[in-house]
Amino acid sequence: MNSTVLLSALLATPDSGSQGFDLGKMMAIIIASIFVNNFVLARFLGICPFLGVSKELDSAVGMGAAVIFVMTLATLGSWAAYNLLLVPMGLTYLSTIAFILIIASLVQLVEMILQKFSPALYSALGIFLPLITTNCAILGVAVLNIDEKYSLGYSLINAIAAGIGFTLALILMAGLRQRLELADVPPAMKGKPVAFLVAGIMSIAFLGFAGLGG
Amino acid sequence: MADMLKVGLVLMLVALVAAVALGFVNSRTAPIIAIQKELAKQNAMNSVAENLSPGDSLAFDSLSVTGLKNPYASCDNTLSIVQVSAPPDTSRIGYVFIAFGKGYSSTVQTMVAVGLEGVISNTMILFQQETPGLGANIVKPSKLIEKFNGLTSSECLLTKDGGGIDAMTGCTITSRTVTNSIRTGLEAMSEAGLFSSVDTEGGTE
Amino acid sequence: MSLLKDLTKGIYRENPVFRLVLGMCPFLAVTTSVENALGMGAAATFVLICSNFLVSLFRNIIPSKVRIPCYIVIIATFVTLVDMVMNAYLPDLHRSLGIFIPLIVVNCIILGRAEGFANRNPVLNSVADAIGMGIGFTMAMVVLASFRELLGNGTLLNINVLGAAYQNQPLLIAILAPGAFILLSFILGFFNILEKRKGGRQ
Repeated sequence: MNSTVLLSALLATPDSGSQGFDLGKMMAIIIASIFVNNFVLARFLGICPFLGVSKELDSAVGMGAAVIFVMTLATLGSWAAYNLLLVPMGLTYLSTIAFILIIASLVQLVEMILQKFSPALYSALGIFLPLITTNCAILGVAVLNIDEKYSLGYSLINAIAAGIGFTLALILMAGLRQRLELADVPPAMKGKPVAFLVAGIMSIAFLGFAGLGG
Repeated sequence: MADMLKVGLVLMLVALVAAVALGFVNSRTAPIIAIQKELAKQNAMNSVAENLSPGDSLAFDSLSVTGLKNPYASCDNTLSIVQVSAPPDTSRIGYVFIAFGKGYSSTVQTMVAVGLEGVISNTMILFQQETPGLGANIVKPSKLIEKFNGLTSSECLLTKDGGGIDAMTGCTITSRTVTNSIRTGLEAMSEAGLFSSVDTEGGTE
Repeated sequence: MSLLKDLTKGIYRENPVFRLVLGMCPFLAVTTSVENALGMGAAATFVLICSNFLVSLFRNIIPSKVRIPCYIVIIATFVTLVDMVMNAYLPDLHRSLGIFIPLIVVNCIILGRAEGFANRNPVLNSVADAIGMGIGFTMAMVVLASFRELLGNGTLLNINVLGAAYQNQPLLIAILAPGAFILLSFILGFFNILEKRKGGRQ
C-alpha cells in the first residue's frame, strides 16, 4: 500500500508535460508492464512461445533474452516508421503492414548479423529468432506504444519492461514445469492442460500486483 | 541476379497491390468513421448536458480558455472545454468536458456536464477497457457515476481518500481514477475562473 | 468427398484450438464475453478464407524464397481491411476487441494454414479448409466464452441467465485472466479423456 501512495504521489507531479521526461511515469510504465499488466499472464500476448519454450530453464532464458532484444529494436523501428513516415504522409492505416514487415525483416537481419559476428550468441539465440516473428508480444508492444501515444523514450522503456515481464513469466513457468515432471499428474491433464493450470495459478499471483503504479 | 530481380519484383508487386487496395478501402471508410465519431460525440454531449436545460435543444461551442492548466498531461490528453447554450439564447448555461484517467487497464474517459457554478449536472463514461465484470461496471450509472450529480469539485473524493463517495466493490482503482479525473478537471476550470463564485460553506445549493 | 473432409476436419478432428493448441493469444484474451468471441471469430474466419484463397490461387507464381513475406503482406492487408470496415460499421465491437484486431496478423492459425495447407492444395479445398478452421476456432472461443461469461457475470450474450442474486456475487475469477487459463486447462483435459475413451473402444 505504501508504494501505491508513493507512486501516485510521484505521478501527480504538477505539469508533467507529455514531452518532458517524468520519473514517476517511467516507474509506473515499468511496474505496469512487468507485473500489473504482465504481457503473458494478464494481457495474453506471446502465449505460444510461453508454452513452447518453457520446458527447460536454459531455453527459457535464451528465448527471454532474444525477445527483449528484438522487442527493443522493433519498437525503435516501428516508432520511427510511424512518426517519421506514416504520420507525415497520412498513411497511418498502413501501420499494421508496416510493423509486421519491420519486425520480420529485423528478425532476419539480427539473425544474419549474429551468425556472422557472434557465432556464440547465435548458437545460443539462433533457434529462437525465427519463432519471434510470429510472437504476438512483439507486434503487440509496437501497437500498444502507438495506442498509448508514448514518446520514443517511454516506448523504449515500455518495450524493455514488457520483455522483462515476458522473460520473468517464462522463467518462472520453466522452473515450475521442471518440478512438475516429478509430480503425479492425472494422465488426462498431462502436458498442455496442466501447463495452463499452472499458468492460471501464476496469473492469480500476479493479480496481487493490481494497484501498483496503475 | 535475374532470380533476385524476379523475387524483388514479386515482393514489390504484392506490397503495391496491398497498399492500393487498402488506400481504396480507407478512402471509403475514413469519412464514415469520422462522421460516426462526430455523431457519437454529439449524441453523448446532448444526453449528458440534458439536465442543464431540460427540454431544450442545445448548442455546443468549443471554448478556448487562457491560463487553463492541463490536468491530464500524464495520460497524454488535454482538457478541452465546450460551452453549452440553449439557442436562440446565446448566453452560456454550462460546460461539458471530457475527463481522462488511467484506470486498471485503460485510460477511462468520462464526459462531464457542469453548471455555471461548478456543480456537476451529469456524467457519462465515454470509453473504458477495464476488467469485464469488475471495473467495466463503471458504465452502469447506478454503480458509481450517478453519485457525482450535484457535487462540486471539493466533494468529488472517495470515502477511502477522505471524501464521501463509496467506491464500487472490488474496484477501487477504476473508481478512484474516474473520481479524481473529474475533480482535477473541475479544479483546473475553477482556477481558470470559469465558475461564478458560489458559497460552498453555506451549501445554498 | 475430400472437399467435405477438408471442411469438417477443422471442426473437431483437427480443431485448431483444442487439438492443435494454436492461436492461443486472441483465444484467451477476447473470450470474456460470447459477443466478443463471435466478433473475433468472424473477423479471423474472414481473414483466413481470403488469405487461403489468394495463397492457393497464386501458389505457383509466388517464388518459394519469399513466400512467407508475401503471405504476411496478404494477411496483414486483409486484417487492416477488417479493422477499417469494423471501425466504420461496428464501432462498439471494434472498441471492445481493441488491440486484438491488428494482432490477427500474428495469429498462428492463419499463417499456419497458408503455409501448411493452402500453398499445396487447389483453391476450392483451401477455401473449404479455411471455412472449417474458422468455424472450429469460433466454436472453441464460444465454448470458453460461454463458461467465462456465465460464471463470471451471470449472463450469456448479455442476457441475464443466473438471476440478479448471482450477479451481485459472481465467480469473478472466471472472467479475469486466471479464469481463462484454468477453464481452458479443464477443457483440454476433458478432450483428452474423450480421445482416450474413443481410442479404447476401437
